Amino acid sequence: MMTWLLGTLLIIALLAVGLLFVRERKLVGALAAMQEEGKKREASQAQVIHTTKLASLGQMVAGVAHEINTPLGFVKSNVEVVADLLAEYEQAVTNVMTGVDFLLNADAGIAERAKTLVIKARAQLSQATGLNEARELLTDSVDGLKQMSALVVNLKGFARVDRDGMDLIDVNDSIRSSLTIASHQLRDRITVETELGTLPPVRCMPSQINQVFLNLITNAAQAMGEEGRLRIRSAAKKEGVEVSISDNGSGIPDNVLPKIFDPFFTTKKVGEGTGLGLSIVHKIIQGHGGSIRVNSVIGKGTTFFVELPIDSKAQAARAGAQ
Amino acid sequence: MDRPTAAGSPPLRILCIDDEMRILRALKALFRDCEVQLCNDPRQAVAMASQFDVDVVICDQRMPQMQGIEVLRELKSTAPRAMRILLTGYADLKAVLGSVNEGEVFRYVNKPWDNAEMRALVAEAGRISRDAAVITAEPISERDAAEARTEVGILVLEDDVNSQARLREILAPHYQVRFANNAERALQILEQHETGVVISETESRQGDLTSLLKALKIHHPHIATVVITERANAQTAMELINEGQVYRMLLKPVRMGSCRLSVDSAITRYWKLKRNPRAIQRFAVANLPSFALPPTTISESLLARIKGLPSRIVQIVRFNS
Repeated sequence: MMTWLLGTLLIIALLAVGLLFVRERKLVGALAAMQEEGKKREASQAQVIHTTKLASLGQMVAGVAHEINTPLGFVKSNVEVVADLLAEYEQAVTNVMTGVDFLLNADAGIAERAKTLVIKARAQLSQATGLNEARELLTDSVDGLKQMSALVVNLKGFARVDRDGMDLIDVNDSIRSSLTIASHQLRDRITVETELGTLPPVRCMPSQINQVFLNLITNAAQAMGEEGRLRIRSAAKKEGVEVSISDNGSGIPDNVLPKIFDPFFTTKKVGEGTGLGLSIVHKIIQGHGGSIRVNSVIGKGTTFFVELPIDSKAQAARAGAQ
Repeated sequence: MDRPTAAGSPPLRILCIDDEMRILRALKALFRDCEVQLCNDPRQAVAMASQFDVDVVICDQRMPQMQGIEVLRELKSTAPRAMRILLTGYADLKAVLGSVNEGEVFRYVNKPWDNAEMRALVAEAGRISRDAAVITAEPISERDAAEARTEVGILVLEDDVNSQARLREILAPHYQVRFANNAERALQILEQHETGVVISETESRQGDLTSLLKALKIHHPHIATVVITERANAQTAMELINEGQVYRMLLKPVRMGSCRLSVDSAITRYWKLKRNPRAIQRFAVANLPSFALPPTTISESLLARIKGLPSRIVQIVRFNS
């Protein structure tokens, strides 16, 4: 009887240990899986952030391509046409010169004929408008080249490829260059009104601040659909600057408003937005020791207020690490 | 360089529309042997076009007052003889689709353009504009429409079962629709039945279909092509206009309303062309300057069959001089 009891107890104990062991292993397995999951998520977040950067790069390229193709179009055409015009003019000059040579070498018998020839060629040359046309086309072309180089300077300024880190800037410049980059998304349908006040220079990371304005402008443009009015104001404040960006678009519903700065939150269709735009904006501004507020009325529109301190001692570099 | 105006005929009349004056001046200089009118406010374009009786319109897409495709859509009815060319700085899909479906453009040209190509294109457009009969936008009579629907077949080239089912549901009650899963079967149908409209995907499981559509257009320009596509991209769409003269381009999933409208209007156009074959060259790509036609990827035998398809329009005017 005793033996039987002991035996049973032993079996139960063994079973318990076994169960524990199995559970333990499951636990370990689950932990490992969680770690794996975590790594994957980190990787996919990094991927998404990278994609967002690429998307804004793509957006920039599209914008620049559009802005540059128009001046490129007429400059390229003009240069070729000018070459043709010069060739035509050269022919007219050659005709006069041939006539003059003929006249110089002519004896009395054919002098009259040579003279008629020269007079005719000279009349043709004086009527040729090619040089004037060429001059006008070249004037346009110089304009076009200036426009293109201004664009490249602007782009360099926007991306800050030649320098990184903190810099003293006029925030208005940043607003203007973001507007240029976003212009192809605005041009046909959205009226832009700017009221830019005189601002004290602000110490910040310019490429990041540009990113903030580009994101806010792009969001506003998307909120307005077919047409609308984008209003950007900037003003000096007691210890910094304030920029407001308003659209007269659809507005943000109350239940969505608290979530807009959350990473990966998006109301756009799958594949259209990463849900990172505003969270990046938020992070950058925080990193600069600034603040962002939003005011939205359904059907009327949305205004974002960005405040930046004149000298952000905060860790802009850390915020912008990704 | 090709001369845009044929010897002996009055110079071509070209209307250029762009909000950028410098583009307009460049075009005027490029076409200095033609009569060029410049318009930098698209709202004036319609009035200018009729006053000036233009042969060719070159119009920018992005303008602050009005989009290019809107201008071209209006010109389509007010100046139907003029051939329409859309000029654009950056090809976004919406503009490309709009230029086919609304503007029914002859060609789509990107800035910066090539001068020699532009002159050749305008010369070709001008020649067609003066030679070819005009197809009016007026609807055909109920009797004609009913006759067209029973006599003229519609071919659907698409291997996706769901999409086939959807199109069957939309089209079968109204038209003679036939379905093909691949190019081979499509050719058989075209050989056996009079077909006025080809509705096709841009690709099948066996590969690209756009080369087939382009080849079909070269040899049988009277057949209207309606492209349905899932993954539209601006570049492919642009090529389909310039090399395939597609009539309409629809995005999947296909909607009943736009599909019926497109097919109705495609079949109407086929019917009108059948009555008026001299208008066919307006929709042709055969006379494109050679630079614009890339080598085709379809097989020799398929190409031979496309060339050999019976021409059911009694006398297709031979305009390839």
